[in-house]
Amino acid sequence: MRFAFTDDQLLFRDAVRDMLKKECPPGVVRAAWESDNGRSAKLWSQLAEMGVLGAAAPESMGGLEMAPLDTVLLFEEFGRAALPEPVLEHMGVAVPILTACPPSPARDAVLRDACTGAATLTVALSATPHVLYADSATHLIAERDGAIYLVAAGALGLTPQQSVDRSRRLFTVTFDIGEATVLAEGEDAAPILAAAFEHATLYSSAILTGLASTMIDMGVEYASTRKQFGKAIGTFQAVQHKLADAFLANQFARPVVYKGAYALTHDTDVHTSVSMAKAYASDAAIAASESVLQTHGAIGYTTECDLHLFMKRAWALARAFGNSKWHRNRIGHHVLDDGPADARL
Amino acid sequence: MKVLVTAKRVVDPDVKVKLDGSGNLDLSNVEYKLNPFDEYGVEEAVKLKEAGKADEVIVVSVGTSDSQKEIRTALAMGADRGILVEVDEDEDLDPLTIAKLINGVVQREEPQLILLGKLAVDAENNQVGQMLGALTGFGQGTFAYRLDIEDGYAIVGREVDGGTADVKVALPAIVTADLRLNEPRYASLPGIMKAKKKPLDVLTPDDLDVEVDAQVRVVGYELPPERAAGVIVADVDELIEKLRNEAKVIG
Repeated sequence: MRFAFTDDQLLFRDAVRDMLKKECPPGVVRAAWESDNGRSAKLWSQLAEMGVLGAAAPESMGGLEMAPLDTVLLFEEFGRAALPEPVLEHMGVAVPILTACPPSPARDAVLRDACTGAATLTVALSATPHVLYADSATHLIAERDGAIYLVAAGALGLTPQQSVDRSRRLFTVTFDIGEATVLAEGEDAAPILAAAFEHATLYSSAILTGLASTMIDMGVEYASTRKQFGKAIGTFQAVQHKLADAFLANQFARPVVYKGAYALTHDTDVHTSVSMAKAYASDAAIAASESVLQTHGAIGYTTECDLHLFMKRAWALARAFGNSKWHRNRIGHHVLDDGPADARL
Repeated sequence: MKVLVTAKRVVDPDVKVKLDGSGNLDLSNVEYKLNPFDEYGVEEAVKLKEAGKADEVIVVSVGTSDSQKEIRTALAMGADRGILVEVDEDEDLDPLTIAKLINGVVQREEPQLILLGKLAVDAENNQVGQMLGALTGFGQGTFAYRLDIEDGYAIVGREVDGGTADVKVALPAIVTADLRLNEPRYASLPGIMKAKKKPLDVLTPDDLDVEVDAQVRVVGYELPPERAAGVIVADVDELIEKLRNEAKVIG
């Protein structure tokens, strides 16, 4: 048995990494913080041109039919760059939901546009009170009373909410069901919504490991150049151990995230594997943010320090779709065969 | 028109390469990329094909079997097929040997246009294109920032000191790509999937009847001396005194 990604999967990762390295340096993320909608000016179309946005969609709709095991590394790269775009909502959740819904003219049209980037999708799942990027999305895929609805942006009532991460704009959303299209309901919708939660959780975990990697790199870079008492602060054990602990935690989290992707791809042991991924990745990212913040000292507390671009995304995502404690509780219920965990996050 | 374009595997230019303590490069754990200047060449070749001016784009690389990755990258960008001239890892390759090996491929494939990066960012020799010109007898337009193909000629815009110059080279021709030739595209995910199915032939120097016998060998590497710390001078007079007597940069 081969316990590694295929050459193709690694090439997909490298292609996205190369693109984001050139096109999404921290300055672009910072500009998104200050922009009207928290997003970048041109990254969405570049991702669409690369075929990334519809990766999980069927080939007949213009997608690539990629499984979570094919795309998990891409989400890690999105985290590594703190990509200020709704990739988690659009590519990680909405496109798989649409793909799983029964075909219909409305579904097919939006799915095709989602692959080309003409449509920008966001999601409103019952697990989360807020909707991200609702002001710049063209469509909302919404869960309401166990059914899945497709709502055009023009039919949404939006109320902005405060967000810790300024490139992650939050809204509470209202809409009239009469203006929405039903995509699936009842027994058809239930497994799709359950899978959507697992996708959102897994891809959040992958983004968190990418964020942690970059934060640790930033900490190492700073510790190697910042001098105190005539020496680089990285030569002091107290600093070294903090960064080493953060590195260890993230290195242990990554294969657990990959196992989550394997579980989702092969539909085996999904709940436990995805919850383990989220618990480990959330803890690792929080640990990395704390260690690197401490390594930076006072400068780390200023928003001018690029660390904030990554740290605040990590803080938000570590709590999205269940924090570490919630997922450990969920694993406990599963291990003890003690019934489902409390659905409230 | 058949276009041959090179794709050299180089250490990622963003990686700071270290020395291993015995005068050699420590290449453990470094990442490799397609030489950026070759990337401009590949992009230009693919653009010529998209514009209907080229029928086939062939990518050639000289190196170990690992170089297949860079060929696949070029195929993912839109090239049609690849050729690897495979050499052993411990084989010394100098620019002339590489030029001879590429010339062997040129003789087999008979392209009308050969595009190379003006240099590879690892050794920065800037010699292979010119040597290939001598070996093939083809005209060459080097340091191209613009390329047009018209009526059997390559019109090459070159950046020269103080301005630009256009040269008109009869095909078959050799063109080496400079920075501003184009904006290379990113390999798309569908492109990567398609690249896997495109043909990639592996040849040996023997197949090309070329003897690998480098005339130039790198005998060692050395880092530049570390910059000494600066000093703060009290006044302009002291600055002038130090510039005159210590740095000896003014008389």
